[in-house]
Amino acid sequence: MHKWVSGILVLLMCLTVFSTILPAQEKISLRVAWWGSQDRHNRTLKAIELFEKKYPNIKIYPEYTAWNDYWTKLNTQAAGKNLPDVIQHDYAYLSEWATRGLVLPLDEYISKGIIDLSSVAENQISPGKIGGKVYGINLGTNSLGMLYDPELFKKAGIPFPKVGWTWNDFREIATRLKNKLGIYGAEAITKADAQVFKVWLMSHGYWLYSEDGKSIGYKDDKLFVDWFNLLLDLQSKGAIPSIETDIARGTLGVEDMFIVTQKSAMGLLWSNQIVAVSKAAKERPLRFALMPRAPIPNAKPANYLKASQFFSVTSQSKHPKEAAMFIDFFTNSLEANKVLLAERGVPISSKIQKSLLPFLGSSQREMFNFVSLAEKNSLPIPPPDPPGATDVVNNVWNPIVEQILYGRITPDKAAVEFRDKVTKILQQR
Amino acid sequence: MNKRERYNNVMGYLFISPWLIGFFIFTLFPIIASFILAFTRYDVLSPPRWIGIDNWFRLLEDTRYHNSLKATFYYVFTAVPLRLIFALLVAMLLKPSTRLAGLYRGIYYLPSLIGGSVAVAVVWRQVFGSEGLINFILGMMGIKGLNWLGNPSTAIWTLIILAVWQFGSPMLIFLAGLKQIPDSLYEAASIDGAKGWDQFIKITLPMLSPVILFNLIMQIINGFMVFTQAYIITSGGPLDTTLFYSLYLYQKAFQSFEMGYASAMAWVLLMIIAFFTALAFKSSRFWVYYESEEGK
Repeated sequence: MHKWVSGILVLLMCLTVFSTILPAQEKISLRVAWWGSQDRHNRTLKAIELFEKKYPNIKIYPEYTAWNDYWTKLNTQAAGKNLPDVIQHDYAYLSEWATRGLVLPLDEYISKGIIDLSSVAENQISPGKIGGKVYGINLGTNSLGMLYDPELFKKAGIPFPKVGWTWNDFREIATRLKNKLGIYGAEAITKADAQVFKVWLMSHGYWLYSEDGKSIGYKDDKLFVDWFNLLLDLQSKGAIPSIETDIARGTLGVEDMFIVTQKSAMGLLWSNQIVAVSKAAKERPLRFALMPRAPIPNAKPANYLKASQFFSVTSQSKHPKEAAMFIDFFTNSLEANKVLLAERGVPISSKIQKSLLPFLGSSQREMFNFVSLAEKNSLPIPPPDPPGATDVVNNVWNPIVEQILYGRITPDKAAVEFRDKVTKILQQR
Repeated sequence: MNKRERYNNVMGYLFISPWLIGFFIFTLFPIIASFILAFTRYDVLSPPRWIGIDNWFRLLEDTRYHNSLKATFYYVFTAVPLRLIFALLVAMLLKPSTRLAGLYRGIYYLPSLIGGSVAVAVVWRQVFGSEGLINFILGMMGIKGLNWLGNPSTAIWTLIILAVWQFGSPMLIFLAGLKQIPDSLYEAASIDGAKGWDQFIKITLPMLSPVILFNLIMQIINGFMVFTQAYIITSGGPLDTTLFYSLYLYQKAFQSFEMGYASAMAWVLLMIIAFFTALAFKSSRFWVYYESEEGK
């Protein structure tokens, strides 16, 4: 009796083990991971279906989450040597992953034409290059912009922002919008992961971090103080949501953004986010302005083009060639791009860009126009943030912004504290 | 040990092996690993690097860490007593066995079942939001509401109220304790002329004190580990006033990937909890009454 039972148990065990091994031999399976919104998940899943139809011998197992959980999961998988084959990657982390050997150089597949980059301009490839080798294929081009609601501008009788507008113009426009319409002039510019402060510095000719990533990139703390005096001024006039309001709102879904609910006339966004925001705003026309420049003579542009995200092949992949084919499909298949519809930013292939035009909705078209406008008014992309940048944003920048805007510390004092703490973090690494 | 006994032992261990394996792999091993990691710098991607007691020194000068200690202590020392008082109060009300007592107990226990959940936390955000239910009601009464979640002095109270609302499990334990107190004591007291309040002070509290001790310790431990509510409702803000210990630990471990630092934090938390639990036990001989005085 006992033997009989254990016999069955052993048999069952063998069956479960084999059932997981067997299909892998006849069919190649790839795991693909990305972060994003529900809209992106739906689009990507559809594109994956198309890929599987084209290559019936390859089965894709998607793994998708939101941005925050994505890196938690990926780092854990990396430690457990269990990474997916293809992963969506970000400019901030790509160089770190490449130097640790976690992602593969793709040059071999590019030269063989498995990933066809013949219709891609060099400046679209270079963001994915580290030490002369390509570690990530850009999935779309982005730029930071000030989204505005033209309807509200007309209602307030205020002309649209022009190329070359400065933060002084911004202050005036936002305040006038507030006074005329009783709504916020702009939202989402206070914390913004230090993004706005970075382009503020950029337009002054500096950057948050030095070239070697070991110290702060600007010498004069006046830049820091001026920025926060501007924010404090806007906050006191009610031209931007107060810090209390922003904190109480917490992390927002697009539906709750003030620009969507018409409680704000402007809002800071990455260009590809216009698609999701317009959708939430029921396709009400929204337009992009370039980032305001520094209020100084001969200010530099405050925009740069960023690879919104990359696809990379991990070094733990057993099928790097098929993984490369998958990336090529995303880059060059018109069918796939008709489904993806530039949700990750403007596609890098000029051929795809052109053939996609007739299929674009008005929000995608605004994004295409804005990115090409930004291209003409931009500086080269700054070097990726140094290791420790997340620490800087979470544990120094965000708390200090709160302290300043709650009035617990003056910008002058905060500037010194900020410099001290950031320098310490950067030098520890 | 004869053959039969040995066979029984082996079978016994086999039967509990799932739990033993679970204990060794998922409890004991991580505990040891975290203790070792506490002396390293470990960012998950590259192997841990031994740095001795650096992590522990960094705790001393980390202002956000100090904020998190402040927030946690504030929470534990307000939410735990309030919850216990509230639980005892409701338990007293529900003690008499009327026909609907079972139903009421069920209803009052309900918040504890759902209170720790993400869904309730999300609802809480809405209730206390600047255009939420509370401000709506206040507005109807002509009072201008506050920005509860955005105001540094009120934000933590939304979490404390949520905690107090989940009084269910200590209430059930109190209820069981109350039922154990012999009616004869109250009868004798009434004959001697003791009124309700005197009875409560002189009979109910001393007789209930072992149960109070148990509840106190469980709630202290729970209180120090509070996480979900703050994670969802306030994410630690404003000005770190709700940055609870576990929340900061989580941020350090899984957002900044400073596993060594987070492990050191975890061990400090363990020591803090151990200290307060020991304190509760030590103090118990001054206020906890056991019926068998010698055999306590």
